[in-house]
Amino acid sequence: MSTERRGYRFAIDIQYKSHIRDPRGETIRRVLNEKEGLPVKSLRVGKSIHIEVEANGEEEALRVVEEACKRLLVNPVVERYEVRKL
Amino acid sequence: MKVAVIVFPGSNCDRDLYHALRYVGLEAEYVYKRRDLDEFDAITIPGGFSYGDYLRPGAVAAREEIGEEIKREAGKGKPILGICNGFQILVEMGLLPGALLQNPSGKFTCKWIEIEVVDNQTPFTSLYKPGERLRLPIANGFGRYVKGNLEPRVVFRYTEDINESDDLIAGIASQDGNILALMPHPERAYQRILGGEDGLRLFQSLKLFLEGKRSVSK
Repeated sequence: MSTERRGYRFAIDIQYKSHIRDPRGETIRRVLNEKEGLPVKSLRVGKSIHIEVEANGEEEALRVVEEACKRLLVNPVVERYEVRKL
Repeated sequence: MKVAVIVFPGSNCDRDLYHALRYVGLEAEYVYKRRDLDEFDAITIPGGFSYGDYLRPGAVAAREEIGEEIKREAGKGKPILGICNGFQILVEMGLLPGALLQNPSGKFTCKWIEIEVVDNQTPFTSLYKPGERLRLPIANGFGRYVKGNLEPRVVFRYTEDINESDDLIAGIASQDGNILALMPHPERAYQRILGGEDGLRLFQSLKLFLEGKRSVSK
């Protein structure tokens, strides 16, 4: 049964919203272009947070993850995020 | 008149701030952990790298238990000052709008800059004139202010575009003016031996306000 209490693992991918400049990404792209000669057009650096929560079922686990994003992990003023199962 | 200097692990401008407050004749006390802040007349949050800037600058400190006490005192209309990392913490606490992002240069920027006083109707700026230019040091890696959905009450603006902050914003206040936050460091410029004294009147303004000699409009 999926209601058994166990750990559920997720990856939370956090990126700056598209209108926010990302100086780290710009620097890394420039290195790939200018030092490595690779035709990289754009590159943005975000964060990936791997998280395991204990819950009775995936739905409950996802609610905990959403709550973690809302309370601490993501700043909605400048960031957006996606959650995927691991 | 007693002012709290809130110290988090990684704060590093706490002593400068403490001495600046004492220099103008205010009593100051370091606060290291959760406690009732009711006895203090004002609360200050110094610069630094609280919790190593983990996750986002100010994000962890903003969720410390002392934050609840700071919010309670803010609700009473008590003057609250955040400098540099203190600005980032107040934004992360949700007491001020917007966010502070990495400087577009990608660099930690440490230099003297110029700001203009926009609003002298706060407990911290009554001794400045609107339009007056101040020379103060900045020292930050995440100094670029971006507005959120709420329009901030702008108190200080850079006189030139140093980090692509929205509307050249260097400092903002809460709508009622009792909370002020700025990226430049007035506590590093309150007497000539430090290289400048344009920050002095910020602390003197606070003292006057606490003594009830200056009222400010909301």
